[in-house]
Amino acid sequence: MKLLSGEIISNEKCGKGLYKIEVFSPYICRNANAGQFVNVKCSPDGILDPLLRRPFSIYNVEKEYNVFSILYLEKGKGTKFLSDLKKGSNLNFAGPLGSSISIGDRSKNFLLVGGGIGIAPLYFLARTLIQKGKNIFFAAGFKDNNFIEWSGELTRLGINYRIFTEDGSWGDEGLATDFVKENIKKYKNYKIYCCGPRDMLISMQDILAGKKISVTALLEERMACGVGVCRGCAVKIKDGNGSFVYKTVCKDGPAFDLMEVIFD
Amino acid sequence: MIEGSGINLSVNLGRIKLKNPVVTCSGTFSSGLEYSEFYDVSILGAVTTKSFSFVSRAGNPPPRIWETTCGMLNSIGLQNEGIDFFIKNHLPKIKSLGAKIILSIFGDDPGEFKKIAREVKKVESSLLAVELNLSCPNVKEGGIAFSSMPAEVEKITEAVCKILEIPLIVKLSPNSDSIIESAIRAKCGGAEAVSIINSIVGTAIDIDTFKPRLGNVTGGMSGPAIKPIALAKVYFLAKADILPIIGMGGIYDWRDAVEFLVAGASAVGVGTANFVDYEAGKKIIEGIRNYLSKKGINDINKIIGKAIC
Ligand SMILES: Cc1cc2nc3c(=O)[nH]c(=O)nc-3n(C[C@H](O)[C@H](O)[C@H](O)COP(=O)(O)OP(=O)(O)OC[C@H]3O[C@@H](n4cnc5c(N)ncnc54)[C@H](O)[C@@H]3O)c2cc1C
Ligand SMILES: Cc1cc2nc3c(=O)[nH]c(=O)nc-3n(C[C@H](O)[C@H](O)[C@H](O)COP(=O)(O)O)c2cc1C
Ligand code: FES
Repeated sequence: MKLLSGEIISNEKCGKGLYKIEVFSPYICRNANAGQFVNVKCSPDGILDPLLRRPFSIYNVEKEYNVFSILYLEKGKGTKFLSDLKKGSNLNFAGPLGSSISIGDRSKNFLLVGGGIGIAPLYFLARTLIQKGKNIFFAAGFKDNNFIEWSGELTRLGINYRIFTEDGSWGDEGLATDFVKENIKKYKNYKIYCCGPRDMLISMQDILAGKKISVTALLEERMACGVGVCRGCAVKIKDGNGSFVYKTVCKDGPAFDLMEVIFD
Repeated sequence: MIEGSGINLSVNLGRIKLKNPVVTCSGTFSSGLEYSEFYDVSILGAVTTKSFSFVSRAGNPPPRIWETTCGMLNSIGLQNEGIDFFIKNHLPKIKSLGAKIILSIFGDDPGEFKKIAREVKKVESSLLAVELNLSCPNVKEGGIAFSSMPAEVEKITEAVCKILEIPLIVKLSPNSDSIIESAIRAKCGGAEAVSIINSIVGTAIDIDTFKPRLGNVTGGMSGPAIKPIALAKVYFLAKADILPIIGMGGIYDWRDAVEFLVAGASAVGVGTANFVDYEAGKKIIEGIRNYLSKKGINDINKIIGKAIC
């Protein structure tokens, strides 16, 4: 991990409040793996508000161009600042942070389940899995059709996927998790990765309870340092003795065995 | 020690000698190992570690962080692996990096402080000093801390002082009116210096769900927003001239650090700023040196307490 500054190659809107920012960084391109994130300074130098860095998953790495990208939704002050940054200016960020997802050689089939902006880290994972010749099915669920412009990137991956929207305005009407529930028998021999809102992760836990299918979730928690120092981003994880320990999303995670996570 | 440029940056806080006045604040730098990936942490006056208790502590329920305007609230609740873990796992590594170490310790009662001190005794020659955290606002709701009970401050300091030979620093809270009295009691108990301030009790509430933003309801406020409060506490304590002070609370850059020195702190602690700029400590040392050089001042000690009138 390093504290870095990289030129912004593009920062374009691809939906309502949805942006993709591409940043030049040979270091990130050489060192980043799926599941990792960058911690971005979202205010000008010397300006103290917003104060803390913002964590964003690494969405894509294009080694041939030394460019990595973040897919982000405008939510508040920090992401508003980010969306106003112009091509040619510099992004102040640290990374790659968090632990990498290790993809064993044994598993051949992968089911990726993404909810909303949770598809961002799964996209990088999908690209990594493609390079390793794995079979992938991507189930992506959204509220509405706001990610329709983005979906071209998913199509270009050339993998099997299905889109679900809560309002039925795009793809199938319904939840990605309902699809997983109905088809779970088909995915007995798959490894599952999921990322999305808390309710989606809780549904996944319910669906997979007692099923002996390996499922990894990428978690979010509010952060201060992003490098494992402050213990601010704690999540409750079962410790095997009927009790729990607090682990850090920024260093131990963001990827955890979903069945070990305790959502209070 | 004269560092580079012929400017003396070294300061003494009683028996505690620092090659420059910049230390880290407990809990914001772990034991320095993570940050050593960003810069050589041995350039710091000292690394102050996270507060360690006798046995490990799980800490408070999440969420533990809430950002405020120019600051933050935390309710970590002293999550740590216990003093033995520090001694076995962190100490050898941080020592090998060449850093000077101030070990922060925390106990629920004087008895626990003594038990920790007995463990620390075995490695005290590896440490520069021990800081007694008598002021964490996150352990009991509402921030009741030893430092609001001056008699307890003396009792704990004295008890630890009897066990350890290395200098003791007592970290006090801004959450009571007894800083001066507590500092006097710390001195009576044998302390060499005081650190002020720990974070200030605060909270934030979600107006949609009516729930507090922090799992622990309240947390400790830190960062640039608290600087004026911390600075005033440092100023008045320095004026009372009881013990040398490590001043902290909202220091973001070298200008803030100089302000604390001028207000009477003999050294400064960099805390929340480490989260924003991982190289904050390094930049603050460089900034102070440049400032002195531009001002034509050859010894940092000449500016300490200059504002006191
Ligand atoms: C590991 C990780 C990866 C993430 N990846 C992405 C991504 O790829 N794309 C994307 O759009 N968003 C992602 N997020 C969420 C993103 O960090 C927040 O949307 C962003 O911090 C909001 O900042 P803001 O100033 O615009 O919002 P505000 O609401 O004003 O932020 C206030 C504070 O809350 C924190 N915060 C707000 N929402 C979240 C959240 N969901 N998770 C953690 N902290 C939050 C902020 O960091 C800040 O400290 C990720 C979060 C984590 C923890
Ligand atoms: C996340 C966090 C954890 C902290 N943990 C400790 C601790 O373990 N022991 C302690 O004495 N102070 C602790 N503090 C308080 C700091 O050491 C410091 O006194 C306070 O944050 C004010 O300085 P700052 O505004 O520069 O951060 C913590 C502060 C933060 C933000
Ligand atoms: S954000 Fe500090 S430990 Fe994770």
